[in-house]
Amino acid sequence: MATDEDLMTAVASGDGRALAELCGRYERGLHRFIFRHTGGRDVDDLYQETWLRVVRAARRFDRRRRFSTWLFQIAVNLCRDWHRRPPPEPVDPASFEDSRAGPSGTADASLDARRLLAALPEAQRSVVILRYYHDLGEDEVAEIVGCPKGTVKSRLHHAMARLARLARQ
Amino acid sequence: MTECDDVLSQLLLGRALDADAAAHVSACPHCTAEQGRVRRVAALLASDDVPPVPPALSARVLRLAAPLLARQARRAAWWTLARALAAALVPLPLILFLDFHLVRTAYGVLNVLLPGAVSFYVAFNYAATLALLLALTYGMIPIVAERQMRLRREECRA
Ligand SMILES: [Zn+2]
Repeated sequence: MATDEDLMTAVASGDGRALAELCGRYERGLHRFIFRHTGGRDVDDLYQETWLRVVRAARRFDRRRRFSTWLFQIAVNLCRDWHRRPPPEPVDPASFEDSRAGPSGTADASLDARRLLAALPEAQRSVVILRYYHDLGEDEVAEIVGCPKGTVKSRLHHAMARLARLARQ
Repeated sequence: MTECDDVLSQLLLGRALDADAAAHVSACPHCTAEQGRVRRVAALLASDDVPPVPPALSARVLRLAAPLLARQARRAAWWTLARALAAALVPLPLILFLDFHLVRTAYGVLNVLLPGAVSFYVAFNYAATLALLLALTYGMIPIVAERQMRLRREECRA
C-alpha cells in the first residue's frame, strides 16, 4: 500500500486519485478534530480549506516529514485563524456555575465535552484534543502546534487544572 | 507540583498509572483530592458525540481541488519535459560533431572510388538518414517524458 508521503508526491504532480485516497484516510480524524476545535461551527468550510491548502502546498511538502503531522499543522493554523476572526467566544467559568445552579439541571447535564473544550483557550484546546482524542505523543503535538515539548506539557497541565475547576462540585 | 501535574495528566489521558504514580496518588493529599475530578473530566471528554462526516463533503473537496490539481499536473509535465530536454541537449554537440565527421570521411572515401556526383548523392542520403534518426530520437523525448511521469504517478499510488 502506498504511504501517505508517496501519495503526496502524486498529488504534487496533479493526481486526483491520490488526493481522494488521502482524503479517505484522514476524513474522519480531521473532521472530528475541527469539529471539537470550533465547537461544531464552520467545520465543513475549515475541512475543505485544509485540503485545498494541502493541494496548493503539495510541491513544498518535505517527504522526510510525516504527512499526518503536516496535515494537522495546517488544520491547527486554520482553526487558530478562525478563532481570531469572529468575536471570540471564551466561555466564562461563571456561566458554568450559573447553568449548573439551575433548579432542574444537574451538573452533568450542563457540562458536556463540547462546553468543556470551549472553556479552554485555543492553544490549550489544540493540545487537549490532539493528546486526548488523537492519542498523539508530546513530540508530535509539539511539532503540530509549533512549540517546545515543555510548553505542550504545561498547556495540558493548565487545561487540566481549568477543566477540573469547572468540574468542581 | 510537577509530579502531581504529571500524574493527574496521565489520569486525564486515561493512561494506567504505574506503581510509582499510584503510590504518589495515595500518599499525596492534593492528588487524592483531585483525582476524582480529573477522572470525571476525562469521562465527560469521552462522552462527546461528534456527528459523522457529511457524505458529500469529500466529493466537494475533490471537485474544488480539480482546477488546482490540473494546474499542478501542467506544471509537473512542463518540468519533466524541461528536465528531459535539458538532459538530452547535453550530448547533442558531440553527436553533431561525430555525425559531421562520419559524413565527411565517408564522402572522402567514396570520392576516391566513385564519380563525384554519385559520391555526393550517397553521402547526402547518408547525412539525411542520420538527421532523420536524430529528429526521431529528439521527437520521442516529450512522449517518453510523459509516459515516465504517468508511470511514476502510478507507482506512487500503488
Ligand atoms: Zn500529588
